[in-house]
Amino acid sequence: MARPVGNSIGGEIMHVCALVLLGILVLFPVYWMAVIALTPTGFSRSLAGIVPERITFENFVMLFSERPMLRWIGNSIFVAATSSFLSLAFGASCGYVLSRIKFRGSGLVLILVLATQMMPATSIVVPLYILFRDFGLLDTMQGMVLGHISLVAPLAIWMSKGFFDSIPADLEGAARIDGCSRLSAYWHVTLPLALPGLAAIFIYGFVTSWHDFLFAKTLINSQSLWTAATGISSFRGEYFTLHELQMAAALVFALPVIIVFLIMQRRIVSGALAGSVR
Amino acid sequence: MQTAENNKREGDRRAGKGARITTFLTEGGGFLLIMLLPALLVLGFVIGLPMLKALALSLDSINFRRPAAAGTFGLHNYEKLIFDAQVWNAVWRSALYMGGTVIGSIVLALSAALLTRRIVHFRALARLTFLIPWTVPAVVTALVWGVMYEGNFGVINRLIEPLPFINGTDWLINRETALPALILAQVWNEFPVAYIFFLAGLHSIPEELYEAARIDRASAFNQFRYITLPQLSSITAVIVILLMIMGFKSFPIIFILTGGGPAGATETMTVLTYNTAFRKLDFSYAATLGILAVFISLAMVLVYLRVMKRAERGAGGAV
Repeated sequence: MARPVGNSIGGEIMHVCALVLLGILVLFPVYWMAVIALTPTGFSRSLAGIVPERITFENFVMLFSERPMLRWIGNSIFVAATSSFLSLAFGASCGYVLSRIKFRGSGLVLILVLATQMMPATSIVVPLYILFRDFGLLDTMQGMVLGHISLVAPLAIWMSKGFFDSIPADLEGAARIDGCSRLSAYWHVTLPLALPGLAAIFIYGFVTSWHDFLFAKTLINSQSLWTAATGISSFRGEYFTLHELQMAAALVFALPVIIVFLIMQRRIVSGALAGSVR
Repeated sequence: MQTAENNKREGDRRAGKGARITTFLTEGGGFLLIMLLPALLVLGFVIGLPMLKALALSLDSINFRRPAAAGTFGLHNYEKLIFDAQVWNAVWRSALYMGGTVIGSIVLALSAALLTRRIVHFRALARLTFLIPWTVPAVVTALVWGVMYEGNFGVINRLIEPLPFINGTDWLINRETALPALILAQVWNEFPVAYIFFLAGLHSIPEELYEAARIDRASAFNQFRYITLPQLSSITAVIVILLMIMGFKSFPIIFILTGGGPAGATETMTVLTYNTAFRKLDFSYAATLGILAVFISLAMVLVYLRVMKRAERGAGGAV
């Protein structure tokens, strides 16, 4: 194994120091979030040291006892699971066709899918708001799920096309010779093979929806239908900001994603490269 | 089954003709239809219809503050757009924001990638460290940086207190520092994307190049200058455009931290569109701004596709 560019011991030490320093800088905001979340309520203003003198979990207890945190998280889970499942269900078949069959306009469909994924959500949410107002979908979970599908579906199509591209078409060919129709070859041969990839796409969709703030903020009004993202951001400036509580909530909100990421790191990174986008 | 066999061999055109409904649906054109139809219907409803609605809105005068104006159709919103300094300032601010995030992310990501590239111990841990910010939701990123930027007791002011020449300020309320402060938060949140690409790019550079350079006693800097940088150029182009698109789309960080303020100093296209619709309640003009944003991002996507294609050829499929 080649050594780092400089071969001297001094170079080695500098390399490691630089790495550690950069790592500390990058992780500091996460550390600071944890420090404030663990600080007793009302103390963050007088917090003296970078290392907390006293830690407490009272902010977390307060979060779940005095705020509808569980409800918001439940809403987030429901919306994220439903919208990513639906997006995956039809996104996979669409991605499959785009991967296997060249038909007139397939290139255009791909570009459109990518373009919708890359355009700012503020462009969609304004007309969607007006449409949902007319359809009576504002401030409903159905509307929220539909809104998130517009966020997740292009991603699901684009990524599943990538995964199907990596599965050899020969396997379907073999099934077809045995008398399978195209549809059953897709259903019985290709889909099971793509399952790990589809699972990764589901998680991607879930995280995308979990992270969404814009749709949750504009399409939903009632506090009981808020997602965690809207709930947490609302702590800012009601009367004055309760930083300890807010950071505790932020931690609760960010932690599941971080944990999933730690477990599935490899798959998620390769998925990111395949889909090239978040 | 016999028909199925025939259709399979003879292609799509025949499928519709003699075949029974079931084979039509599982083969050829019918197959295409049932595979694509659900997706097309849903996308049509959640994306196509809103885009059409945006077009219709942009030609109308829907403003909830002035309901009487509704129904006045014409190109007036587009005319207004052309001469609206606020809009072009927002486009300019979006460009600054994009430029700032691109430069910041690339410097940070490339340093991190070069540092983690060849370490032997704790390799996975080191990589994980630089990927963590990416998993933090933008909302949370905004909140954390907001707490750190606070003027009175924010940790950033406390940390720089002992340093000479830098004075603490209320970073998000100060007109000069607000936009850079937002950019820094965005860089922190999204540089891992560039980091992943750079790692992939670094690994696709043939080791022989470095061995040859070492034999020639090239310095570390020259190896970087004459091997690493040129070899990374095509992947860097992909990263730049990807980061530009991400920066252009960015909403929660700006909206939560400053909402476009102080006095419009951080009002990017996304925030201006949002504020026009949901604060000024001028939905028609907001839709027009949304359409402008779509065109801008479409242009970037087309460039992205072109560069991506070239990069794939250049890097030999390392991406």
